[in-house]
Amino acid sequence: MALTITCPICGKRNGYEFRFGGEEKGPRPDEKDLTPEKWCDYVHMNKCVAGVQEEWWFHKDGCGSWFKIHRDTTTNLEKEVKDENKVQKAKSGGQK
Amino acid sequence: MMNRFNHLPTLKVDTTQKLAFIYKGEKYYGVKGDTVASALFANGVRIFGRSLKYHRPRGLYSLDGECSNTCMEVDGVPNVRCENTLLEDGMVIKEQNVKGSAEKDYLGFLDKMDWMMPAGFYYNVMHKPAKVWPIAMKQIRKAAGLGKISPDYEMPGKFDEIFLNTDVCVIGGGPSGMTAALCAAQKGLRVVLMESRPWLGGFFEYRSREYQDGQTLNERARHLAKEVEAQDNIRVFTHTSAVGTYNNNLVTGFQIGKKENVFDERYIEIRAKSVVAAAGCIERPLIFDHNERPGVMQIGCALRMAKTYGQMPGKKAVFSIGHDLGLEAALELHDLGLAIACIADIREDGQDSDLVRKIEDKKIPLLKGWVATKAHGAKIVKKVSISSLDGQVSKTFPCDLIVASAGMTPVTGHITVAQGTLKYDNHTGFFLPDMMPEKMHAAGRILGLNDPLSIEASGTLAGLQAAFDCENCSIQEIGEAKKALENLPGPVRGSKLVTAPVKGRKSFICFDEDATIKNIKQAIDKGFDMPELIKRFTATGLGPGQGGIPGHNLPLYVAKYQALPDISIRPTNVRPPLVPTLISTYAGVNHKMFKITPMDEMQKKDGGVFRNIGVWQRARYFSNDVTCQNEIENVRKNVGMLDGSTLGKFRIHGPDALKALQRVFVSDMTKVKQGRVKYSAMCNDDGCVIDDGVVVKQGENDYYFTTSSGRAGQTVEWIRYHTRYDGWDFALVNLTDSLGVINLSGPNARKVLEKIVDIELSNEAFGYSEYKEFKIADAIPTRAMRLGFVGELSYELHVPSSYMKAVWLMLREAGKEFNIQNFGVEAQNVLRMEKCHIILGQESEQRTNLLDVGLGFLWDRNKADAKTVGAIALRQAENDQTRLKLVGFKMENNTRAPRDGALVVDDKVRGYIATARDSFSLNEAVGMALVEGELSKIGTRLEIYEDECGDDRIYGTVVKMPFYDPEGTRMKM
Repeated sequence: MALTITCPICGKRNGYEFRFGGEEKGPRPDEKDLTPEKWCDYVHMNKCVAGVQEEWWFHKDGCGSWFKIHRDTTTNLEKEVKDENKVQKAKSGGQK
Repeated sequence: MMNRFNHLPTLKVDTTQKLAFIYKGEKYYGVKGDTVASALFANGVRIFGRSLKYHRPRGLYSLDGECSNTCMEVDGVPNVRCENTLLEDGMVIKEQNVKGSAEKDYLGFLDKMDWMMPAGFYYNVMHKPAKVWPIAMKQIRKAAGLGKISPDYEMPGKFDEIFLNTDVCVIGGGPSGMTAALCAAQKGLRVVLMESRPWLGGFFEYRSREYQDGQTLNERARHLAKEVEAQDNIRVFTHTSAVGTYNNNLVTGFQIGKKENVFDERYIEIRAKSVVAAAGCIERPLIFDHNERPGVMQIGCALRMAKTYGQMPGKKAVFSIGHDLGLEAALELHDLGLAIACIADIREDGQDSDLVRKIEDKKIPLLKGWVATKAHGAKIVKKVSISSLDGQVSKTFPCDLIVASAGMTPVTGHITVAQGTLKYDNHTGFFLPDMMPEKMHAAGRILGLNDPLSIEASGTLAGLQAAFDCENCSIQEIGEAKKALENLPGPVRGSKLVTAPVKGRKSFICFDEDATIKNIKQAIDKGFDMPELIKRFTATGLGPGQGGIPGHNLPLYVAKYQALPDISIRPTNVRPPLVPTLISTYAGVNHKMFKITPMDEMQKKDGGVFRNIGVWQRARYFSNDVTCQNEIENVRKNVGMLDGSTLGKFRIHGPDALKALQRVFVSDMTKVKQGRVKYSAMCNDDGCVIDDGVVVKQGENDYYFTTSSGRAGQTVEWIRYHTRYDGWDFALVNLTDSLGVINLSGPNARKVLEKIVDIELSNEAFGYSEYKEFKIADAIPTRAMRLGFVGELSYELHVPSSYMKAVWLMLREAGKEFNIQNFGVEAQNVLRMEKCHIILGQESEQRTNLLDVGLGFLWDRNKADAKTVGAIALRQAENDQTRLKLVGFKMENNTRAPRDGALVVDDKVRGYIATARDSFSLNEAVGMALVEGELSKIGTRLEIYEDECGDDRIYGTVVKMPFYDPEGTRMKM
């Protein structure tokens, strides 16, 4: 497998070690006022981006964590995307 | 057997060591270092096999396995590439694709039937009238195909795989590859060097021309090879072809094992930080009439037969070449004693003057602007016609060897497969690298270079560029290396001629698929104007040679025939594997891995019959009786022991452990009370039930739960996935392998257990559905649950794996007086089926939801805040009348039970049988089935269809569940 994935805990590793967990779609929606259509969209509909997409991976043969990466689906290469929120989160996490 | 040269410094054979082999049932001898092909040639074999379509005789051509000409059956393995396979003592070699023999093939007449087989004939000939095709097809199928293999053939040999990480991977062990490797290694980097021939040296290795200061190219190659081998941080793989290159600098290949290796072929996958592509050139075939008659060879083939294998490739030769290597080879072979009638050089001018002068000195006739037009001879070359390029003047020479080559062509597959691009270069006539893939660098003849010093300088540059990718080299150094390369001779002008002035009916552009120039014209005339389309329509380049023969000529010819400008000349795509690779090499080693339980040895001693079930090996039966009557009856009447260690076992603890349980389990997990066992299930987001098990509370925020055996591997992933946004604080520990489980079941279970534990076991003290922790013999920490999966009084004991054997022996000793016996997975299956306790995957399939299998009572619908996985879908499915329902049934009139998976039908399929058995406890055949809602009412007659039953049906009736002990008194006693 040509793909490599950078696990936040274990670093850059061979794609064989990971399991794909789908596109990033945000947290589970609230059950209140949720229509079946909206729910179905959340579970089953994908954007299938031809380009950079944010997605989940599981380090099954490693640390066992779920994490997100950005990957260019046309080249299968990871992309570094500066995520300001991520930095913020890390900061606030540090203060806790 | 012919005499061999044994004084040449370039020889790779040891003529003193003879190796015997069998060819067509007779014993022959080769020498150590021979390939199968060179050994056969030494024994006078010229026709190695017959071609795919026309059964034309075929022989040595390239010596590097670029066509199927020399594919043979070796030791029972078909399609062995004999030019690349070293001879071993005792090999049995057979020719293939022949009716009769290669020498006299009864299907040879097909060569005259080519008018019946134009390009794409299987698409558009023999289809009218339609009746003809089935008959024609049978004959074509019989005649077509290379090599024979039977459907139950098992590939012999040992296969292995390795996965390497390195800084720099160099593809090609020629001068530029070796220079690049040395350069990167001297920068302190780790280097992997792959060379497809069994030795390093490449383009220099077999040549005796001067390199510099009196040193020959061969000596230079040896010197470089020595340096490479002395460098500790270069790992050299010879006889190793790189067959795939991918992004992220992944290179795959396979290595052919030597005798001392533990493998015959080994798959190699290399992850590098940078890649150097230095695969050099192969020769571009010259196309003329009968250009593949045995006796026609490329320059490298003729030269290397002499220099590497010590054999004269023929007695009298005519050369028709388009490259200086041809002149060099003519001189060398002439000096070794080959009579050369004439050299026809495609090029009118531009030859190396030094070589031309030497040829004149030796009085070898050299005709510039001439080319071979036809090889004569019914089976092997007898004479050759050559003509001026315009076809106006011609001559004929008797000869047995035609050395023919139109020029060179770079081996660029490693670049294009990794998504690099090529561009046609008018000066060289080559497809040269245009856009290189990220962190891949080309070196050597791939760049069109021909001068030895330039080739090495390009290797140095590529080595430095690779070092730069590894942050071990400065821009300045690269700049200097670039300048050094620019000061050396650049690419030489190449010939662009594809075909001699011939009509092309018997001029082959692709040997593997028997495609001629005429076929290409037919395809273009039919409207297939692009090389990529023509390739498919005529199958040109689709054979085992992977386009090695026609890859360059096809686009050149297509452009020429259509009078297209240079700019539109594009190569066809190549794909991995770039070199034919055995499927068994990709498959690698079969490790036959499975897990065994702590009781494996004990159960085997007790006569357990084991089966692989999921990742585990489990005892299915304990006798030859597959109905397990004895095992079942003993559990119902006395007491039995089952090894349940394969159950998934987990501990979840931490402040948010309960929240996580609430998310994945359908029940309200706040109701899990200490000391009680809670049975529940997990669904997926579609409400389909994926797992069931029990949960107990061990302490505050501390739970222990089980999953089904099959789900144990995914449970951590599943729970973590569905809580990934929440940032909850809990720890999840997989205890599946560290704990073993014994299921002690039967009316006497209490009496047995009492003898080995100290705690009170009465129904009041330890009742049904209760949980206790205690120590056996003051030492063995035990979790005990009172469950009733098999429908009897039952204790499930979870103990550390290391203690399993001890507890097992204690129970067996204690149970002797009650006739305790093992029972296996099948007995358990029947016992629980009689109780209508479901096993997921047996009573359910992928689409079955929680409600379908009657587990709706587990679902707590009042915990919306928990966002329970599957709850929304269950709510939607609740009123869906079209879903299948799980029902119990018994067979009518005492007929036997249907097979699992049999269909419930009327005029269409209405459901299927999940599990059904002839029950000894009930004395009738009962089972469970998933059927459409309207068939689920008690008393409904089920019509059951089994495979191959024809019009016969068997019938069952829907009855109330469970079948055995409906009040459940036995498991609660």
